[in-house]
Amino acid sequence: MADSRPPGEAAAREISPARAALAVAVGWLLPGAGHAMLGRLRRAALFFVLILGSFGLGLAHDGRLALYNDKERFLTGLQLLANVGIGPADAFARRSVYGEVAYAIPQESDPTYVRRIETFRKRQRSAVSAYGTAYLWTAGLMNLLLLLDVWDIAMRRKD
Amino acid sequence: MRSHFGHLVLYSGIVAVFFAALTRRDRREQLRFGGLVWLGMAGGVLLLAYLMLPFPR
Repeated sequence: MADSRPPGEAAAREISPARAALAVAVGWLLPGAGHAMLGRLRRAALFFVLILGSFGLGLAHDGRLALYNDKERFLTGLQLLANVGIGPADAFARRSVYGEVAYAIPQESDPTYVRRIETFRKRQRSAVSAYGTAYLWTAGLMNLLLLLDVWDIAMRRKD
Repeated sequence: MRSHFGHLVLYSGIVAVFFAALTRRDRREQLRFGGLVWLGMAGGVLLLAYLMLPFPR
């Protein structure tokens, strides 16, 4: 469909692919920041509150910060993807929960094995862990969807 | 919070607002779509729970 806006306005809103990629990267680093970079400030603020709110609820309810497991590569890989979608906030959460930025179950011979597994299982045994996990994974997946939205806005496929 | 119902309301609220803001631009459309998503999630769960009532654990 033809662009109905005046040519000057359309040109002014043109965004280079490099800037679009930067907006996506910034959006991953801080939920909503990609939209803010493209001038969608109100939407950016709303997404920031929703995603970080969901993430905070997840942490407060002992949500599972997935650890990659060689025996269940596919499922734990997907879980990890959902967690990492939130950006660096996930790394800070892992550092606070596991004492280090851990993404996988270590070898049994590893000195951190027992502590990491016990922390993981302790959170999993919590009565509210299932709720927390849903909030955490939803936060990550929502942010991944936002990155696609940022790309579409930058490429002028969406308003 | 340990209330399953409380989490149902809150979680479906977060998801509904998110998808309404993501997929709709007009304020009235956002309210309509968000309300439908929220009702679909919360109402669907309650309906499912009601249907499962004759099958105790």
